[in-house]
Amino acid sequence: MIDNGLLVQMLLGALLGLSVYLPLAAGQLSLATPAFYAVGGTLAALLSTRWSVLGAADNGTFPWSAFGIEVVLGGLLAGAMALVVGSLVLRLQGIYLAIATIALVEIVRVAILNLPFTGGAIGIFGIPQPFASAAGYLIPALALLGLTGWICHRLELMPLGRAMAAIRDDELAARCMGINTTRVKLIAFVLSAMVAGSTGVLAAHFLNTWNARQGSFDTGITMLAFVILGGSRTWLGPVIGGLVLTAVPELLRPVGDARLVLFGLVILLGPLLFPEGLVSPALLERLGRIGAGDRSAPSAVGEQQP
Amino acid sequence: MNTQNLLEVRNLSCRFGGLVALDQVSFTVLGGEIFGLIGPNGAGKTTLFNLISGLTTSSGGDVLWRGGSISGLQPHRLNRLGIARTFQNLRLFDALTVLENLLVALQRRPSCSSIASLLGTREHQRAEQLRLERAWQLLEELGLSQLAERQAGTLAYGDRRRLEIARALATEPALLLLDEPAAGLNPAEKESLCALIAHLRKHHQLTVMVIEHHVPLLMRLCDRMAVLDFGVRIALGSPEQVQRDPKVIEAYLGSGGGQS
Repeated sequence: MIDNGLLVQMLLGALLGLSVYLPLAAGQLSLATPAFYAVGGTLAALLSTRWSVLGAADNGTFPWSAFGIEVVLGGLLAGAMALVVGSLVLRLQGIYLAIATIALVEIVRVAILNLPFTGGAIGIFGIPQPFASAAGYLIPALALLGLTGWICHRLELMPLGRAMAAIRDDELAARCMGINTTRVKLIAFVLSAMVAGSTGVLAAHFLNTWNARQGSFDTGITMLAFVILGGSRTWLGPVIGGLVLTAVPELLRPVGDARLVLFGLVILLGPLLFPEGLVSPALLERLGRIGAGDRSAPSAVGEQQP
Repeated sequence: MNTQNLLEVRNLSCRFGGLVALDQVSFTVLGGEIFGLIGPNGAGKTTLFNLISGLTTSSGGDVLWRGGSISGLQPHRLNRLGIARTFQNLRLFDALTVLENLLVALQRRPSCSSIASLLGTREHQRAEQLRLERAWQLLEELGLSQLAERQAGTLAYGDRRRLEIARALATEPALLLLDEPAAGLNPAEKESLCALIAHLRKHHQLTVMVIEHHVPLLMRLCDRMAVLDFGVRIALGSPEQVQRDPKVIEAYLGSGGGQS
């Protein structure tokens, strides 16, 4: 039931979930991910078709090295945009920040729709393929997810990540503890944008075509659902949420139109049944204890005590 | 004891719209002393703390730290200069554990670049080790080590109060601002808090400013104190001087006086 194509989509979903998660881990509800995803996708579409500076072949294939450069460039461009936009909008808090980031998504969407070189409503198609089949995309998608997941995991164990968690709990108290909250929030926002930008590059080649609709507001809501269903207290939450919620609509195809209703039910019931998300720190701790078994008795307290 | 002027508040005023929260308040805090701040509700005590810690901007006057103006600096800059505070209505990082609350405050002691931390270099590991050691020391000192792995939000009230003090101490301040540290504590807890503050001053070379409603406690604890009433400093001096001041008696008991 799950073919390679769906697997790639699921991995892209997990990446987008992490992109929404990163600012949220610092207490910032940003819905800007689709904008940066669109920037990455459009950049890839342009660089591999109209502005073929990286050397696309005319038989529809694309060199891996050029694809790799695009992934990096997509991340850097989105990150640079986030640096500029973030230093302005991150002064806003809560719902106001969410609205400002929705506005950003709209601006980027309308720009891509109307710029003379982005193909208007039809978009850009015939994007060349670096891989012969969908299975080929599994490698870069897994690599990008692995890298992003590793960064998120390391963050939980280092001062920057702790500062993010502190801001999420109480920004004012965090400022009084010597944390430059403006800087920490901006770093989280830029990281989020870089993940989305690189993911956009992957998606553009994978989908073979790119247009302004790829980065619309409603895709942003779906990405937010990944995080809410999966859980936002640890980075594994959005990964699981992104994988599951991308797979569900496809797996429900046999039930016909009712699948959208069922999909809606999952989004509705998930937070009701698992208010902390499918993956919560408490769950991880329990799993850790089962994993450790009875071999090692000392708890985390005992280990850390000098 | 270093008796130089550590903090000087000079003609400090703060207005919120038409409300004058602080009106031309002046005093100095000497290095090493415990300086009390009392006054009826709404006298402007917490506003004064907010101004010193950078959460509110003043409408006039100046705050000097070791002789230099610190008006308008961001709270995190002031903290790094050596001013730490607690909050009247406790503001812990509730979702984090007790230990993590301290690690947040210790993140610059020692500091280490984020890239080094991300890659888990030896520099990062050493910094983490030092932070952990320091955190455990503070937990021991404040009697919280049994609770290290508990979520801060689940602690009992008295423990939360002490965790807030521990967290402020973790930033290695020279001046500690305590906003009603004894509020909500029972008499026995108040006694031990009193002893704790005296102990901390000695062992951390601290200067302490403390807001407190429980006047007998302050009388014993403080070297000097200031009294605020409707944003005006109406008295300043040793507890004995302040206690005898007719203006203070009037502010607390109304005109006509009486025994205090």
